[in-house]
Amino acid sequence: MAQAVLTVGKAKTWSVPDWRPRRTTVLAFALLAPSLLFLALFTYWPVVQVLWQSLHGQVRVGGPQAYVGAQNFLKLFADPAFRKALANNLVYALGTVIPSLVLALGFAMALARSSRVNALFRALFFLPVLIPLVAAASIFLFLFLPNIGLIDYHLAKLAISGPNWLGDPDVALWSIMALTVWKNAGYYMLFFLAGLQAVPADAYEAAILDGAGPWQRLRYVTLPYLKPTIGFVLVIGLLNVVTQVDHVFVLTKGGPSDSTNLLLFYVYQQAVENYDAGRAAAGTLVMLALLLVVTASSLRTLERSFGEKDA
Amino acid sequence: MTTTRRSVLAGAALAASFALQPAFAQAPTEIELFFPVPVDGQLARDMATLIKEFNEKNPTIKATPVYTGSYDETLIKTRAAMKAGKPPAAVIMSANFLLDLKIEGEIQSMDALIKADGKTNDQFMGQFFDALHGNAVLDRQVYGVPFHNSTPLLYVNTDHLKEAGLDPDKLPANWEELVTTAKKLTKRDGDRVTRWGMMMPSNYDYGGWILQALTQSNGGEWFNVNYGGEVYYDTPSMLGALTFWSDLVTKHKVHPAGVQAGGAVSGAFLAGQTSMMLLSTGSLTHIRNNAKFPYKVAFVPKNVRNAVPIGGASLVIPTGVEGERRKAAWTLINWMTAPEKSAWWSRATGYFAPNKAAYDTPEMKEFIAKNPDAGIAVKQLDVAKPWFATYKTVPVRKAIEDELAAVLSAKKTPKEALVAAQKQADEIMRPFVEQTALKLPTN
Amino acid sequence: MSAASISQASTGVSTGEISPKLGYAATLLVAALWMVPFLWMLVAAFNPENTGAGMASLVPSYIPTLANFREAWASADFPRYGLNTTIISLGILAVQIVTITLAGYAFARLEFPGRTLCFYLFLLQLMLAPVVLIVPNLTTIAKLGLYDSLLGVMAPYFASAFGTFLMRQAFMAIPRELEDAALIDGASVFQRIGFIYLPLAKPSLVAFSIVSVTAHWNEFLWPLMVINSPDLRPLTVGLASFTRGAEGAQAWGVIAAGTLLVSAPLLIAFALFQRAFVNSFVSSGIK
Repeated sequence: MAQAVLTVGKAKTWSVPDWRPRRTTVLAFALLAPSLLFLALFTYWPVVQVLWQSLHGQVRVGGPQAYVGAQNFLKLFADPAFRKALANNLVYALGTVIPSLVLALGFAMALARSSRVNALFRALFFLPVLIPLVAAASIFLFLFLPNIGLIDYHLAKLAISGPNWLGDPDVALWSIMALTVWKNAGYYMLFFLAGLQAVPADAYEAAILDGAGPWQRLRYVTLPYLKPTIGFVLVIGLLNVVTQVDHVFVLTKGGPSDSTNLLLFYVYQQAVENYDAGRAAAGTLVMLALLLVVTASSLRTLERSFGEKDA
Repeated sequence: MTTTRRSVLAGAALAASFALQPAFAQAPTEIELFFPVPVDGQLARDMATLIKEFNEKNPTIKATPVYTGSYDETLIKTRAAMKAGKPPAAVIMSANFLLDLKIEGEIQSMDALIKADGKTNDQFMGQFFDALHGNAVLDRQVYGVPFHNSTPLLYVNTDHLKEAGLDPDKLPANWEELVTTAKKLTKRDGDRVTRWGMMMPSNYDYGGWILQALTQSNGGEWFNVNYGGEVYYDTPSMLGALTFWSDLVTKHKVHPAGVQAGGAVSGAFLAGQTSMMLLSTGSLTHIRNNAKFPYKVAFVPKNVRNAVPIGGASLVIPTGVEGERRKAAWTLINWMTAPEKSAWWSRATGYFAPNKAAYDTPEMKEFIAKNPDAGIAVKQLDVAKPWFATYKTVPVRKAIEDELAAVLSAKKTPKEALVAAQKQADEIMRPFVEQTALKLPTN
Repeated sequence: MSAASISQASTGVSTGEISPKLGYAATLLVAALWMVPFLWMLVAAFNPENTGAGMASLVPSYIPTLANFREAWASADFPRYGLNTTIISLGILAVQIVTITLAGYAFARLEFPGRTLCFYLFLLQLMLAPVVLIVPNLTTIAKLGLYDSLLGVMAPYFASAFGTFLMRQAFMAIPRELEDAALIDGASVFQRIGFIYLPLAKPSLVAFSIVSVTAHWNEFLWPLMVINSPDLRPLTVGLASFTRGAEGAQAWGVIAAGTLLVSAPLLIAFALFQRAFVNSFVSSGIK
């Protein structure tokens, strides 16, 4: 014990030789160690496993895993359901992130000022974030129910018959998107509320003195200040559209005719329904590659949001 | 990883997760039963009651019922538990998954257990309705014990029949009558339909099953009962069945377009928004308890013959369950499928009891006398056939269900749909086919 | 205060412009739309009917009943599930606070070789949501002997890149002089983090806690996979036991009541503390 203390004391006082890690380095890694341990176990190691699995598959029915080269990827890209899921995910991403973003910004601007009434409305928009996605999906299952569901019931009173919200291949994805926007807009609103605090009041005053109308102020004052927030929310939103599929699970299971199949759900189907671990792994890698592109292309935004570069 | 490290972690997990339970000097064999909830929460409680009674009667065994979601989710969870090295001792598994599980080597044959009880396979299976054997006995070995079963059934709102001037005692028995009745029952307000004549569920899992019922009623088979690598999608019997369904939607306009989920169909029926529906016998109790109007049930209407597929679930023992746990699982399985328990579960759910002797119990006789609809459901068993089961049943089923959805949404003609479904299904089953039917001796 | 004057105030000026007023009015309209699913949930939960045509009405035309709540309450062991969910959410949060504070400090205040590499390694986790890696993670959990334990549900979330970056950003905003003063007094690194950095980073910590607890409170697929024992089920999995039957029909009143029961703790917590919640988010400096 005394020896240990002595050694540490020595290391402190002596000048550090080049080959020995500096004290701050040791400290830094000691502080990072808990995080790195869990990241290694549950992020990096699984990725290694997925990489391995993507090159292996069952050659014999019920047999062991064997090396199959690029076959899993070839089969993946040849599968029309995969291409459909890829296309759906694109539509889904654009059709949920952009409306959520615009709505969130609108909500935030309208409710930016702290008051009791505004606090109430902020809370209201945030409520959907608080309930589990599976539970929200159960509620929306009733909303979209043909004939007797909430929407059709009220449409019938106006003598209108609505489409088969979840059962028509042309409509189902849009219904799912409506749920996603409802669920997420309030969450993004919080980020914009935070971002709006950074806009100095005198910037508005100056704009008004210059005779700028509300739209011009939005265009030339608010939006430029909010740019980092918009970038950040965009990335969070894009990550969400790829990683959250609980509602597809409950509402449509990817149907009808794969019209609501999204990448993660496709991967899940390959893994547990088709029982094709190799193709599922290949699909996971494609998904990760896409996420990587999303993140990499917005790296500057992320770095700025988290302050790596401009600090 | 060393054993010590693992046990330390496991111990920590245990301590962190829940209070330690008192240790018994002679611990009972602990087993888990994975079960799906077929209709609603009430049944989850019924299952708990059932297992509690079992534990009281069998002090050497402690069985825990584990709710595992829908049929598909139960399959997923079972496979996940097996991968984690902790297979449940017994699972109530959708009857048409057994073949696939057997091909993948994930469930075990029960022949040795049956033999140890001094019975032959035929004697053992003899206690169950013949229609159920096809999905439980594979290659002459017993892989599953039928637990609760169903068939599709025609439900008719007889108030609506009377209102339309039809005889409430004469339900449609063939496709011709079904169409004319549905037309008379459908109510319109201009172009808008305010009440449908007929509804059939077409969501994943349900749609394939209903289409199989129509195909079989049209003389078809859907799949090769004896071989897991063949389905007969692109055949006249199937084309007729799919065209019939499609005509109800597009030609006769008595059935809503697009995919209808099972819950939406029964909901519409209970709300009086559809006058007739094809639905599982498993929903009988739910309909009986919630319908505020008189209704009647009948066999699925035929075109060529009366025939329906069975549905429901069987008890299986996963691979890797050995020794005392296997014996305990076997005790539980036999207890749950004995006539009295089988009959009790049947009354609670609406599923019919697979054990024939269940219908000889006094409670059951009284129940059937009181609820003739339950009696009709059981009679249909005489014409019931095995549920489709192939290598990779779920994706093979999905292949046709996706096309069914396209037809019901008027995106494809029935013929186009069947050709596409056949191609896709053949592609999915190809590895199995190449390794079995097409694998020939080379010297 | 009238709606119009708030809208003017919200843009920081008081003029007679029409667009902000319209925007505010539109927001209130959308808010009404946003409420519809909740409104239905409330009306349906107290509806004595469960399946009839009148289930869709948003105006209650019945004598309210607690039958649906009784049914839902009896269908699942809610107190136990609630406890499990609480253990999971708070357990994850507790460990996360330790890991993200330490790592956040390292990134904010220490220069060391491999810093950039580490930064990107962390960044990688932002996109590798555990749900994407559900299959391999399940194997890892099983190998660690954590299958079917609450710890198994929690473990994959113990490290959080999002939290780390959030703390790092908060720490960087704290003047170095404060730490230097403590250093002169001989405070250890943990004392400095605990007594200087953490208290000053409270808004970020609270904001992160909201995000973390909400996410894990509501998680479904992962606990469904890991947990077998009924005693260890969280609320979401328990809820699914009566909302997601395999065959047949749904009892909508019971589903609505059950959903309300499951969501209630978070909704009530939010209703009580929502101003503090939102304000901490606003002042956390997430931008």
